[in-house]
Amino acid sequence: MLAMAPGEKIKAKIKKNLPVRGPQAPTIKELMRWYCLNTNTHGCRRIVVSRGRLRRLLWILFTLTAVALIFWQCALLVASFYTVSVSIKVHFQKLDFPAVTICNINPYKYSVVRDLLADLEQETRVALKTLYGFPENTSRKRREAESWNSAWEGTRPKFLKLVPLMAFGQDETGEAKDFLTGRKRKFNGRIIHKASDATHVHLSKEVVGFQLCSNDTSHCALYTFSSGVNAIQEWYTLHYMNIMAQVPLEKKINMSYSAEELLVTCLFDGVSCDARNFTLFHHPMYGNCYTFNNRENETILSTSMGGSEYGLQVILYLNEEEYNPFLVSSSGAKVIVHRQDEYPFIEDVGTEIEPAMATSIGMHLTESFKLSEPYSQCTEDGSDVPISNIYKAAYSLQICLHSCFQTKMVEKCGCAQYNQPLPPAANYCNYQQHPNWMYCYYELHQAFVREELGCQAVCREACSFKEWTLTTSLAQWPSVVSEKWLLPILTWDQGQQIKKKLNKTDLAKLLIFYKDLNQRSIMESPANSIEMLLSNFGGQLGLWMSCSVVCVIEIIEVFFIDSFSIIARHQWQKAKEWWARRHAPPGPQGRDNPGLDVDDELPTFTSALRLPPAPGTQVPGTPPPRYNTLRLERAFSDQLTDTQVPAES
Amino acid sequence: MHLKKYLRKCLHRLQKGPGYTYKELLVWYCNNTNTHGPKRIICEGPKKKAMWFLITLLFTSLVCWQWGVFIRTYLSWEVSVSLSIGFKTMDFPAVTICNASPFQYSKVKHLLKDLDELMEAVLERILAPEQSYANATRTLNFTIWNDTPLVLIDERKPSRPVVLDLLGDVHNGSASSSPAPGRTCTAQGCKVAMRLCRLNGTVCTFRNFTSATQALTEWYLLQATNIFSQVPRHKLVEMGYPAERLILACLFGPEPCNYRNFTSIFHPDYGNCYIFNWGMTEKALPSANPGAEFGLKLILDIGQEDYVPFLTSTAGARLLLHGQRSYPFIKDEGIYAMSGTETSIGVLVDKLERKGEPYSQCTVNGSDVPVRNLYSDYNTTYSIQACIRSCFQEHMIQNCSCAHFLYPLPHGERYCNNREFPDWAYCYSHLCMSVAQRETCINMCKESCNDTQYKMTISMADWPSEASEDWIFHVLSQERDQSTNITLNRKGVVKLNIYFQEFNYRIIEESAANNIVWLLSNLGGQFGFWMGGSVLCLIEFGEILIDFVWITIIKLVAFAKSLRQRRAQARYAGPPPTVAELVEAHTNFGFQPDVARPGPDPGTYPDEQTLPIPGTPPPNYDSLRLQPLDVIESDSEGDAI
Repeated sequence: MLAMAPGEKIKAKIKKNLPVRGPQAPTIKELMRWYCLNTNTHGCRRIVVSRGRLRRLLWILFTLTAVALIFWQCALLVASFYTVSVSIKVHFQKLDFPAVTICNINPYKYSVVRDLLADLEQETRVALKTLYGFPENTSRKRREAESWNSAWEGTRPKFLKLVPLMAFGQDETGEAKDFLTGRKRKFNGRIIHKASDATHVHLSKEVVGFQLCSNDTSHCALYTFSSGVNAIQEWYTLHYMNIMAQVPLEKKINMSYSAEELLVTCLFDGVSCDARNFTLFHHPMYGNCYTFNNRENETILSTSMGGSEYGLQVILYLNEEEYNPFLVSSSGAKVIVHRQDEYPFIEDVGTEIEPAMATSIGMHLTESFKLSEPYSQCTEDGSDVPISNIYKAAYSLQICLHSCFQTKMVEKCGCAQYNQPLPPAANYCNYQQHPNWMYCYYELHQAFVREELGCQAVCREACSFKEWTLTTSLAQWPSVVSEKWLLPILTWDQGQQIKKKLNKTDLAKLLIFYKDLNQRSIMESPANSIEMLLSNFGGQLGLWMSCSVVCVIEIIEVFFIDSFSIIARHQWQKAKEWWARRHAPPGPQGRDNPGLDVDDELPTFTSALRLPPAPGTQVPGTPPPRYNTLRLERAFSDQLTDTQVPAES
Repeated sequence: MHLKKYLRKCLHRLQKGPGYTYKELLVWYCNNTNTHGPKRIICEGPKKKAMWFLITLLFTSLVCWQWGVFIRTYLSWEVSVSLSIGFKTMDFPAVTICNASPFQYSKVKHLLKDLDELMEAVLERILAPEQSYANATRTLNFTIWNDTPLVLIDERKPSRPVVLDLLGDVHNGSASSSPAPGRTCTAQGCKVAMRLCRLNGTVCTFRNFTSATQALTEWYLLQATNIFSQVPRHKLVEMGYPAERLILACLFGPEPCNYRNFTSIFHPDYGNCYIFNWGMTEKALPSANPGAEFGLKLILDIGQEDYVPFLTSTAGARLLLHGQRSYPFIKDEGIYAMSGTETSIGVLVDKLERKGEPYSQCTVNGSDVPVRNLYSDYNTTYSIQACIRSCFQEHMIQNCSCAHFLYPLPHGERYCNNREFPDWAYCYSHLCMSVAQRETCINMCKESCNDTQYKMTISMADWPSEASEDWIFHVLSQERDQSTNITLNRKGVVKLNIYFQEFNYRIIEESAANNIVWLLSNLGGQFGFWMGGSVLCLIEFGEILIDFVWITIIKLVAFAKSLRQRRAQARYAGPPPTVAELVEAHTNFGFQPDVARPGPDPGTYPDEQTLPIPGTPPPNYDSLRLQPLDVIESDSEGDAI
């Protein structure tokens, strides 16, 4: 024993000092007392060692408040865990030039496409004459006045018969004048004013509309417009799509403008470019469009200098004579700036260019990145959206909505709408195969706009997108003095393509360039990482109670494992006692200490000592001397104070 | 002496650590530390002890790892961005106005006479009108032509392209009967190109164009640059549009202003430009209200009839909003304003304030950029455009030994022209095409830390209206030219309204995302979360380490001593050791277990002065005391208090 290391000695002492603990504690009260005295958490100890009821109560209150505060703050921390912080960075660097798609507003050369549309044009003119008294043959000289008149006698009108245009008075009695036959006719069905949900047009005069019926003509819907301009254009477009849907794609491409024709000159970054740098993109409503810098033939072009001379400069030949008078009523070109893998939604987001003007478009690039699940509902590449992408392009919200509509259209109406690409195994709608598609389409479109198809709910926005902010300004071009030499030389450039001299209004100049090479990226990043969360927890726990994970483990140990084992032991004892009493009724009796007969073990030293005298009484005589003060101790022994509870077991 | 005493005292203090062996020390540490885990290792049973040991170890490593993460995050110098938007009184931006044509044609005609004649001749050759050679007799100045002639490349036979000097036969005077090339060959078969030569025309390249329009425009521009670069600056200024001719009316808020409020600056591309509110000499004007009523209203006359016909094909005014004291890079960022219209521009100021080193690579005033800012001659602030342009001019001077006309002239250098530097066009076109040159410049230049951009909302309307046209033109003509005749027309007048929008500023400000307070609080949070520790615990740990070292030293000293003694012992190998020697040797611990010595050995604790009242230890009388537990405890507390 002499060789016993001092460390072991200390341990022995500690063991002696530590009172009953863990599952060995006789009662839960003991256990709690022991916990409070020895725990690392602040506050508990104060409850036990405080003297006086008020003070003890206060400490209990303080401790409980601190616990409550901890829970509250930590709940707040957890709740704010999935938040994002947004950072905006602007840096100057070499930038990729975006893809630029340019379309003439008019899709097909009218001289070529007129054969297909001759009947429709005739009927439109008849309608115009009957409704508004518009004289047919004054506007366009190249039309022979009587040719259609004679044709009219022979054939019955098919378009007006199919979808009759009507004018009706505003009394809404269900009377409408079918201007073709001149007689009034009853119609049964709903009147749908176009966009009447959104804007309440005060209708005072006669309105024009057309009726669309389903197969058995029992369900009809009437579409009315406040102005005949809209009615006739809408009616014309409807039939136009019908006709064009039956024309094969190659023929349509040939009917439209070629790249050489559209682009007179082209200059990028100070270097000449020509039609070969543009790729064809056929849009159903805009005909042939041409995309610059589409990556298909080479790498993406980039700009290392800002300013108009380092961007794209093109002169476009618009050829206003070939415009379709009913389909498009404005003249010019449309241009859209987009990402290389993005589908150009030219009808939705294009910028229009005026003829006889120089349009200078300065760009600023903004890149946005969002965080996907669980921070927001965006999608990286659209693979987790239950809509199949019918476009051959990268996912975007618009693509999803259009795809969704087209898919629904094929489902409900059995054919695909002309404006959008074909889904696999579907055809474009036309009269021959789908006689009542128009009614179906209009119904479906109404449902789509009212968000009844569920497309808006299913489609999610993309997580990252590039956006080019455009600053557009116009100037006169060519100037009065330069017009004289510029137009002939441009005509020479155009060469054999056209036979006539170019006119100022047939041309448009377009400049697209980066204003400066500052790229702005808006990035979301998680506001909290797991480390931050834990350290904030630590801060809260430490601030209110000086608690740590160790304390939590302690609490679990004491409150759950030890307490339960004590309770279980008590129950076991009780059960055993009850069993014993039942089988052997005469047992040891006459004990007055009720606390002891629960515990039927052999009396411990303490309990044995405590038994005979009443608590508080002392052995008479002098108190035992404080021998400890005499002891010559080693440095460590001051651990042992004489007032510790002797805990012999 | 005192010092020595003090030091010895210190030594004793130090020696009086908590223990004399490692184990003792460790146990003491575990028992007394404020960190939460270690105490448990000591006071539990063997199974729990192992568990607690593992837990403590795990938590310690967790804390270390997380600390590493935080320190690395801190050293990555991230920034957080705050964005604020609203309206406040701000300085009205500087407004630079230029005419799209740099010079009045009537004043530069004499300089451009030869060039224009050449241009017309070329046009004739290409377009080949019927009366082609009616006026071919006029004398052309072929010295200009021969430096950089335009050629027609006939590519109708792709294997053997024919290169044809456009004015070659006219020049020789012999083949005047040959048909004009433009008639026989169209744009599909023939391309117009520019021939650039150096070393007296021995090494040549062709600069190709896909359209004749571009070729002619570029060629004319090159030649015009050549001519204007030889004219002294003050003469160029005279030939441009004077302020009183360009600016007809000016109104800033309720206060009238006129052309004298504009600072003149000569821009090589656009001639005389005029800057309103540049803030160079006087204080910048503030604007306290949003809306068109409180902005700048201007009426300009661009005089389209007097444009240089071949130099600019676009007609309009050029306009740029920029910050005070900054150089207007109007060709890059400027917008057009069309004649015959009223252009309204709503302005939103977009300010960007970056943190400098070590957060990002930006420069406050450009002094740490290795490019000399040539625009500092104008007394303007640094901007990255200025840097890139200065860099280009530097390269130009290095490669071509002359400065380009479109960029500022460094001291002691000369502008390029064909007379003195015959090779410059060739050299310049090479430099322009070189990607490496641009990359070098971009990499060299740093962005500036404070950046102001003006976002514009542009809208247009016809102006003047047909009803008001008459009187407006009359009044304006009367004011400018003091004549009753109308000297203005729709093709010349431009009206501009520039004003602040309802929200006039947006400030994006960077601030350090992680500062030292953030770091400390997170370190503390982590340590507290896992182990309930603090800096004091670290100090405790350091103290223990010192004790460790101290014990080691003591042990080493003892070991060395014992070694010496053993060596001394080895000398008297023969006789058995005396008691005294044994006593001496007791410091050697290795010696003890060999021989079990019966009976109490007085030398067992040679270095413990404290022990030694012999006999049994005093009895633990406390254990005999008869007292209820509670009483004892409260007593002890009472003592303690």
